[in-house]
Amino acid sequence: MTSPLRPRSGAALNFTFDGKQMQACEGDTLAAALLANGIRLVGRSFKYHRPRGIMTAGVEEPNALVTIGEGGRAEPNTRATDVFVYEGLVARSQNRWPSLNLDLGAVFGLLSKALPAGFYYKTFFGPAKLWLVYEWFIRRAAGLGNAPREADPDRYSQRSAFCDVLVVGGGPSGLQAAVDGVDGVDAGKRVILVEQDAELGGSLLRDDHDLGPDWIGSMAARIRGAGGTILTRTTASGYWEHDLVTLVERIAEPGQVPTHGTAQRLWHVRAGKVILATGCIERPIAFSHNDRPGVMLSQAARTYVRRFGVLPGKRVVIATNNDDAYATAQTLSDAGAIIVAILDARSSLSPVASEAQGRFTVHTEAAPKAANGSKARLKSVTASVSGIEVSFDADLLAVSGGFTPVTHLHMQAGGKLDFSDEAQAFVAADCRQNVETVGSAANPPPALPLKVYGDPKTSFVDFQNDVTIADIDLAWAEGYRSVEHLKRYTTLGMATDQGKTSNMTALARLAERRNITIPDAGLTTFRPPYTPVTMGALAGRDHRDAGAHVRRVPLWDEHKAANAIWQPAGYWMRPRAFPRNSEDLAASARREAQTVRRAVGMTDVSTLAKFEVSGPDAARFLEMICATSVAKLAIGRGRYTFMLRDDGLAFDDGTVWRLEENRFLLTSSTGGADRMATHISYVRQVLHPELRVSAVNVQEHYAGIAIAGPLAKAALWAMIGTEPPRHMSLARATVTGVPVLLLGASYSGERAFEIYVEATQSGPVWTDCAAAVAERGGCTYGLEAMEILRIEKGHVVVGGELDGRLSPHDLGLAGMLNKAGGYVGEAGLSRPALSSPGRLQLVGLESLDGPIPEGAMLTKERISAAHGHVTAAAYRVMSGDPIALALLADGRSRMGEELYASSPTRNQFVRVRVTAPHFYDHAGERYRD
Amino acid sequence: MIEVAISTLPAAPLHTLEIWSNAQAVAKRFQEAAAFALPPMGQSAGNAGVRLIRFEPTVWLVEGDWTGLEPVLGDDGALTAIGGGIVRIALSGTGWRRLLMEGGVFDAENIAFGPGCSAATIIDHVNVRLHVTDEKQCIAYVPSSFAHDLIAFWKAAASLA
Repeated sequence: MTSPLRPRSGAALNFTFDGKQMQACEGDTLAAALLANGIRLVGRSFKYHRPRGIMTAGVEEPNALVTIGEGGRAEPNTRATDVFVYEGLVARSQNRWPSLNLDLGAVFGLLSKALPAGFYYKTFFGPAKLWLVYEWFIRRAAGLGNAPREADPDRYSQRSAFCDVLVVGGGPSGLQAAVDGVDGVDAGKRVILVEQDAELGGSLLRDDHDLGPDWIGSMAARIRGAGGTILTRTTASGYWEHDLVTLVERIAEPGQVPTHGTAQRLWHVRAGKVILATGCIERPIAFSHNDRPGVMLSQAARTYVRRFGVLPGKRVVIATNNDDAYATAQTLSDAGAIIVAILDARSSLSPVASEAQGRFTVHTEAAPKAANGSKARLKSVTASVSGIEVSFDADLLAVSGGFTPVTHLHMQAGGKLDFSDEAQAFVAADCRQNVETVGSAANPPPALPLKVYGDPKTSFVDFQNDVTIADIDLAWAEGYRSVEHLKRYTTLGMATDQGKTSNMTALARLAERRNITIPDAGLTTFRPPYTPVTMGALAGRDHRDAGAHVRRVPLWDEHKAANAIWQPAGYWMRPRAFPRNSEDLAASARREAQTVRRAVGMTDVSTLAKFEVSGPDAARFLEMICATSVAKLAIGRGRYTFMLRDDGLAFDDGTVWRLEENRFLLTSSTGGADRMATHISYVRQVLHPELRVSAVNVQEHYAGIAIAGPLAKAALWAMIGTEPPRHMSLARATVTGVPVLLLGASYSGERAFEIYVEATQSGPVWTDCAAAVAERGGCTYGLEAMEILRIEKGHVVVGGELDGRLSPHDLGLAGMLNKAGGYVGEAGLSRPALSSPGRLQLVGLESLDGPIPEGAMLTKERISAAHGHVTAAAYRVMSGDPIALALLADGRSRMGEELYASSPTRNQFVRVRVTAPHFYDHAGERYRD
Repeated sequence: MIEVAISTLPAAPLHTLEIWSNAQAVAKRFQEAAAFALPPMGQSAGNAGVRLIRFEPTVWLVEGDWTGLEPVLGDDGALTAIGGGIVRIALSGTGWRRLLMEGGVFDAENIAFGPGCSAATIIDHVNVRLHVTDEKQCIAYVPSSFAHDLIAFWKAAASLA
């Protein structure tokens, strides 16, 4: 299996395959190293568990899929042709049991006649519950590798880049295009050249060429010397709008411990122009058992000899429909192999074939019918030579069925394709984006259409998904005429290789059956990614945190010191409770809520949305944003307000305060903050750009502290040294020398204040407030207590009761609407549907049985039609009696009615009585001094 | 490893200045009062006491002494304090351009983005405003809530790149 060409200088690399220790040379792909170690059987196919070897030398490899690495670093379904061996690499074959050599799953191959394309559409009928059985079976039978169960220990990076020219492909055409960009005909441009291989050169690494051995190095030096960027081991995985191309750079090989911690980098490259020098993929030939180890693409065989010094066979038959395979014959012969025969499908010899005939036995009108041998070894090739069956002893069959240009990126860019009759392949045509295809991808070598001589049932087209010629014929016979239907019925091209080696063969067969041309048969759509992309690369550096940074409140350190239980609220982390001693969350929240009702509590409301609106037209502007009147608000006063979408439905609520004649503060919910900012910007920039107003998002400028309870006024008075503002009034003061804005506002149902302070100075104010509260027997409280308090008071919350489906009337807020109109949503409110009977309305619920399950349906019987649902459940703060808020059809006319809060999935059915949605101080007397 | 030092600057007065009418007249009044012109889009201008950075067509970020600006604006614009919600982070060293490409969407490596230039962009999903103070330093204005995590992100990116 080795050859004299194989370099042996330098240190050998140790690796294992299925636990067996082996050695590789520096620069070997795993495929090359396995061949050098005499390994021909590398994997098992997806469906029939057929023995498979190495067919290609590139990313298009459909057969030699292995799992690389261990633990969380394990990467399944890695192409052995696309991983470079490093010291300690661990590779395992997959989709076999108990071993690669003895795989019991191969029984599926024996049953292949019963498992044709689409058999599952005809098999898995019956009662729905049987699907649980089918699913168990199908999931265990489904092949390829297993995803690791451990967490990925590596890091991933995402980086942007901008360039004038992005060249994809580091072969001769790509190198020339890049040099033209930096110091050639288009000199001075910012150029990025990407190559998915570890080495530049492309076909030059495989072929004898006139450019000289140093040409690749000199071109690379010119690119780098002129400021260009070269990224090797980097695949252009997707082409998006506006010439945005995503690249995936492998910094570490699959399974390898990254030197600097980062395993892969996802690049977002915005290019002025993209040049695709992506080359061609050689096509296999369909014949019986063409998937047997020992059948290899012609150029791959040449690559293993010339680049890696590995001779993949000693007795070689070459089957071709083009001239390129003659170079393979010469290369293998030079390396010591015996060329048993060249089977040329063409009827007459081309000049290249004529020239070779003196050295090799060349048969015209010849093609393989079958590859014969064992599971790991090819022994002979049966061929049709001018209609006569002939057999050749051989251990390698190198095949070339023509060349398919790599047009994936061109097509992803929205480009069209033309069909080349000469090459029997699609080539890049016009594109709306600034992309150009050069080199062999634009001009593939000519090739003859091929006939299938072998048994269609064992002549494979899609090697990964075990789709045969017979499967395509079956799909056609069953009426699947469209290539898109054919694809989905047979699963052709739907494996991880996305049909790189199978599409054209399948299209040719479909066209032949339909008696139409290949372009008339159509082509399926190429979608990103070009090759599989690790999920971590898409997630980026924060893949462990769902890709999102945590937003910290200004008082983060204070809450952390107070032993807060944290709760995510969007990207924010907010204190949920402040447990003392051994309290759990529920006990802590109840103590905190009762303290607010009995004495005083304080909480962090910094995350509330806040907007400062100023200018001569500020009041007019706010009367568009808010559905309540604003203009008549006196300076120093505030009011509750809510906001509507264009369709008249409420989407947020808050308060509006008149700070000065032409300056207001608008607050709204934390959860709706970004949406509110967008809405304000929309009204300002789009609906009324003529207004003399400035609306600035000051959400983070101010930290907010709410202080609530019957002793809140006394605590605040002690802090500021003067009488605090009355309910819905504001005042300015200082706390420990820090200027603060005081708003008399309550969310808890108690006399309460919100203290706003510039966030950078909030620490001392919080500390002073905590001392004043503690002095009066109070405490800090978190979101859990706040939720209990607001439910008891009957305040709505965005996402709970304000679910985007309710009108002000549904919420019982119609009386607050601005009678002068002019607000966003006024027109939408007049729609008859918003006043029709049966609409959900906000109500309260009292339990007759026990705790009310949140989210439960409201039904007349335990199991019957839903009339509404429970939006939020809690209990009366002091007595502990269960209560809830709910949305109920025609709810306000159903006071006193008894229903079930029904949750069949939790087997909870609680009897409830409908009440008004206010369980505490309905008259609002506790707000008054 | 990216050659860049990441440091948090002390809190400073920051305001937005928005002009909604009579822009030419305001610009003239401003130049007379400040002795320098309002900077154009994507640029900054200032003196020892105050610097204005234009990030939006009608909005400037005012850094420093803002006390003389309200009379200049009159009824044609407004100042609003925002400094409590922004952390200023200095990215110093030859590698600041490279660092900003990590998780970024803005062409910070374009040499035209030089001293005096500004941009509003997204870095790893966080809205950030940038101001180049000299060839070896860029100031990032980061929302306070994201500052801790973004600094950690930058430090990791600088050390792992």
